[in-house]
Amino acid sequence: MDEYDELFEIEDQFEEQFADELEVLAQMEEETSKPAKRPKQDNISDIEHLLHDQPSTPKAKRQKSDAGVAKRLFNGSQTQERNVPSQPDDITPPSSPEQYEPSNTSRSTAAVLDISGFAEIPETPRRAVTPTPASTRVLKRPPLEGEFITVTDSSGNRVYLRQKEETDTKTADSRIVPNSYGGLGLLALPIRVLREQEAERRHQQVVEESQRLSELLVSSVNEVFAESENPEDEENEEPGDAEGRTSRLWVDRFSPRHYTELLSDDFTNRCLLKWLKLWDTVVFGREKKSRPARSDRQAANQNSFKSNQGGQNQNRFKSKVEMIEEILEAELDQHKRPKHKVALLSGPPGLGKTTLAHVIAKHAGYNVVEINASDDRSAEVFQKRIDTATQMKSVLGANERPNCLIIDEIDGAPAAAINILLSVLNRKDGHGGETGTEAAKKKKKKESILLRPIICICNDLYVPALRSLRQQAFLLAFPQTQPSRLTQRLAEISTRQGLKADAGALMSLCEKTDNDIRSCINTLQFLHGRGLKQLDSRTIQRVSVGQKDQNKGLFYLWQEIFQLPRTKRKRIGEAFEEAPGSGGGFQRFQHILHLASSSGEYEKVSQGLYENYLSMRVRDPNLQSVCEALDWLTFSDRLTQTILHGQNFTLMRYLPFLSVTFHFLFAHTHVPRISYPHSQHEASTRLLSSGNALSTMLADIPAGIRARIGQLSLTLDVLTLLLDIICPKLRPVNPQLFSSREKEQMRELINTMLAYNLAYRQDRTPEGQYTYVLEPRVEDVARFPGLPPRRQLTYQAKQTISREMEQERMRRAEQTMLQRNPVAKEEEKKSAVPKQSRNHQQRLENIVKQAIVETRPEVDFFGRAVAPKSQKSDQSSDSGEKCAVLAMGTAVGNSDVWFRFNEGMSNAVRRNIYIRELL
Amino acid sequence: MSLWLDKYRPTSLGKLDYHKEQAAQLKNLVQCGDFPHLLVYGPSGAGKKTRIMCLLRELYGPGVEKLRIEHQTIVAPSKKKIEINTIASNYHIEVNPSDAGNQDRVVIQELIKTVAQSQQIQSSTQKEFKVVLLTEVDRLTKDAQHALRRTMEKYMATCRLILCSTSTSKVIGPIQSRCLAIRVPLPSTEEVCSVLTSVCKKEGLLLPPELAKRISDKSGRNLRRALLMSEACRVQQYPFSADQDVPEPDWEVYLRETANAIVSQQSPQRLLEVRGRLYELLTHCIPADIIIKGLVEELLSNCDGQLKTEVAHLAAYYEHRLQLGSKSIYHLEAFIAKFMAMYKRFMEDGLDAMMF
Repeated sequence: MDEYDELFEIEDQFEEQFADELEVLAQMEEETSKPAKRPKQDNISDIEHLLHDQPSTPKAKRQKSDAGVAKRLFNGSQTQERNVPSQPDDITPPSSPEQYEPSNTSRSTAAVLDISGFAEIPETPRRAVTPTPASTRVLKRPPLEGEFITVTDSSGNRVYLRQKEETDTKTADSRIVPNSYGGLGLLALPIRVLREQEAERRHQQVVEESQRLSELLVSSVNEVFAESENPEDEENEEPGDAEGRTSRLWVDRFSPRHYTELLSDDFTNRCLLKWLKLWDTVVFGREKKSRPARSDRQAANQNSFKSNQGGQNQNRFKSKVEMIEEILEAELDQHKRPKHKVALLSGPPGLGKTTLAHVIAKHAGYNVVEINASDDRSAEVFQKRIDTATQMKSVLGANERPNCLIIDEIDGAPAAAINILLSVLNRKDGHGGETGTEAAKKKKKKESILLRPIICICNDLYVPALRSLRQQAFLLAFPQTQPSRLTQRLAEISTRQGLKADAGALMSLCEKTDNDIRSCINTLQFLHGRGLKQLDSRTIQRVSVGQKDQNKGLFYLWQEIFQLPRTKRKRIGEAFEEAPGSGGGFQRFQHILHLASSSGEYEKVSQGLYENYLSMRVRDPNLQSVCEALDWLTFSDRLTQTILHGQNFTLMRYLPFLSVTFHFLFAHTHVPRISYPHSQHEASTRLLSSGNALSTMLADIPAGIRARIGQLSLTLDVLTLLLDIICPKLRPVNPQLFSSREKEQMRELINTMLAYNLAYRQDRTPEGQYTYVLEPRVEDVARFPGLPPRRQLTYQAKQTISREMEQERMRRAEQTMLQRNPVAKEEEKKSAVPKQSRNHQQRLENIVKQAIVETRPEVDFFGRAVAPKSQKSDQSSDSGEKCAVLAMGTAVGNSDVWFRFNEGMSNAVRRNIYIRELL
Repeated sequence: MSLWLDKYRPTSLGKLDYHKEQAAQLKNLVQCGDFPHLLVYGPSGAGKKTRIMCLLRELYGPGVEKLRIEHQTIVAPSKKKIEINTIASNYHIEVNPSDAGNQDRVVIQELIKTVAQSQQIQSSTQKEFKVVLLTEVDRLTKDAQHALRRTMEKYMATCRLILCSTSTSKVIGPIQSRCLAIRVPLPSTEEVCSVLTSVCKKEGLLLPPELAKRISDKSGRNLRRALLMSEACRVQQYPFSADQDVPEPDWEVYLRETANAIVSQQSPQRLLEVRGRLYELLTHCIPADIIIKGLVEELLSNCDGQLKTEVAHLAAYYEHRLQLGSKSIYHLEAFIAKFMAMYKRFMEDGLDAMMF
């Protein structure tokens, strides 16, 4: 009900708002006051719009004029009036047929040819601007029109005397009563006269135009509509028709302009509208400024049907939504925003998602800002555009409504852009209490929270990039359009276009296009364009248009391939039953071929076919179809190879035929159980890992053996036997107790393992047990499942081998070192002997002594020994002890921190610490 | 160097145990000084590599046995880096270009060309040419083989190529015609036995001749395998007994079981099981052509004489397909399915004939 209330409320408010203005204006005796001028301009622009829109449909015209005259004051009834002529052109949706009937009553009042805004204006219930009755000669205020004389009496009261001639013009001018405050003669001609002239001119043009078009109509052949049309209707409709034949798509011409005309599911529409309404508090809120905008919106909403009915309508659906979508109702966050900041519409193409979003956004009083795939959606641009759309508002021009951002085809947007959208959604605002656009405007752009609704539209909801958005968005999945509604609309369109179509044909058209509205209408137009006047289901079946190149998902494709189209036959009924088996085969052939070629992922498809075809329940006792299928698979494999090798991509067109073959070989009425093909991927990863194991093994094999062994011979001949060879029977005793023969055997074993780069590594199992595993892991490569297990060494044996191997390895390393630089080794040995001193001698004193011995005598600049040095040495030679102390003093100083460098030791820095320091 | 295989490998042409006549010819070839490019081919385990190393030693002396492994990085024109290991002495370099996969052409063009272009430093005391030894030539792509053609002629003065492959069928004609082809056939059973006995003798073991014969049979006269088998036997049980178990490579056992599964039942379900086993084989790095070969051998032993030609024909057909394609599992399965269909029809026909 509130919508309806608001309609009147607005007018009251208008009075409130503009009353003082009017008074001022009146007293200032200015002709060119604001309310007077505005309508005029608007009306002119109105007419211009009308003229521009001649070729378009009446509905489009109406829409555009609404958009153009956002600030218009009187549009409540005006637009209502203007709807009337176009009424026959409207296509009523089946759900709400009641809306237009009442408007017929007002038709009589509408001027027959008058489509300019002028005619309606006087009929608006204006009180404020007509304060005094026009009949009195002496006026307190200047009369609204006509010439008058100003008289001031002795007491200073000023009155206005009307001049006499006005009476004859009055009938004509009464229509612009509210507009003219003029008459003071600031212009060369009074505004009234100008306006009349202008109106005359426009009128003339319109009449001429209509005559021209009606002539055109006469020349064009359309008997169906010719007789019942008055000139105005002709003007409204026929230009559209005539031009539409050449240029405009029916899809655009007959696209819904109003909420009630939407073909999509009622509930979805309602949910979205409801969600959008949740934004009202924050967008239109308690702000004074935004009220007029709202009034516009209201008016715009109501303009297609009578206000009280519209009110009822809204009331009804609201209650429904309240019942069903309580979530939507209940939750508003601290900023008075709905919980979900974004609505995400998803569904297959052609269901009217974009149309719905636009219509609803307009319906709710927003200015639609759309971003779609055709725009640059890189991160920065996207950020900028979102900010522009949500934070700003157009100041100039007629669009003073708040913006509603519609992001179309969001599933194609890069992930970066979607992340930006998310960050916009999750922007936290410090000032929670403040709401409304002004608060947001004051702040810096970056900090402000999102205060405008965003509607996202996608085809595939499950695109990886949308994952995080999905959690935050208000998800609306689009159901299929009801075929009955679609058929009805199609029937309307086709009758209007003079195309005779029976319901069955249209039904089958719907079926063929999967209830894709756009596709249906396009097909109709196409058929119509080819000069077809009669449409039956046979034509529809034969025509190959109307099929979408739609990606259906791999599982759907596999399902279609492995399942006979049993259900389809039932639905279509006679048409298919009549067709002989071969015809059905052709249909199936085309269907599968179409599906397979539109999926594009031939590789995946063929893998899925390969993995699943053997589990199909097809009677094939002689394995004939299996053989054939495999021949096809090998063929497609070769084809792929040729394509990739020679980059001969023209051959790719033959790949989808594989699917067709499999369909005819293995299709069954049962629902197939299809598993996703993993095996090839698994196989390739396992192949890779075993290849890696082999190559690591080969990498460190000494060159002498490496020269004799390749990877192939390793896998084919050597590896299994080698693994046998390195598992000898060892007595479980200490290796030192081995007999000489056993020792020899052990040595050989270790040599072999070292030569082939094998080793045991201790490993801990998840159960906590220790095991030795062979590194590199070639055992996996050599062993096959299902064969009798080979003998394994015991843990002890492996431990022994591992230890022995370590020793052997060290021994060898030493040997190679020796071999590489035998001289250095010798020297090292020699020098190591004298240097060795017992541990207890390794004291600072001794070290210092050694250091002193090694210190070379100081020399002066010319290389001579310095004298004091020799004296000192003489002194020191007296007593070694004394010298050491002395030297220590010089070398170490009296500090209690010193260090001694011990190679391989970590406690190089020492300090005396007393226990009292620690306590 | 402790596997018998490595320990008792002959190092000079004179010490070779079999095909002595060929060894003598090779010796003459070296001595007459007019050394051509060689294409040494023969089945795996026949001693190609051994023979080549003996030949190199004959050419350059014992210095050729000082081998080192070099890791080389070659940058392909597509800026892709290819890493390849070469085994080289001062006199020769051994490359397995097929390690580089599809990029083997680049290896041929870059690596071998640079080696071939450089002259030997001391041509007076040494042979005036180096030797480039290419292994697994049959796995070279056609592109690489064509790249090899011109190199072979152009750098004849500084370089000789020795190509080593298991068969000549995958070596293109132009290369075959530029080489002196030397076939190294498998040793006969007696030769294998004598080699095994002499090796055991050197090890101080006594090998019963029956066991030697059995080992030789089981190994398919592949000497490498025979030696490994006898050593594995030694590890398993000593003293040898004539009827002891001879261990076999696991994959052969597995393949045999697969073939038995195919013969025992022919149905899509069985085909599915077989597919799993084929995947298993493939992921254990067994090449698909070897799988198909092994399968054919096993299947042929299981089917009737009439079918044999057909089976062999099928195998050849699908093996060819397999080389052309890239997904070997399809081709293997196609072969098996075809065999199953054929075998089943044959068996049913046979049954009908019996009934009526």
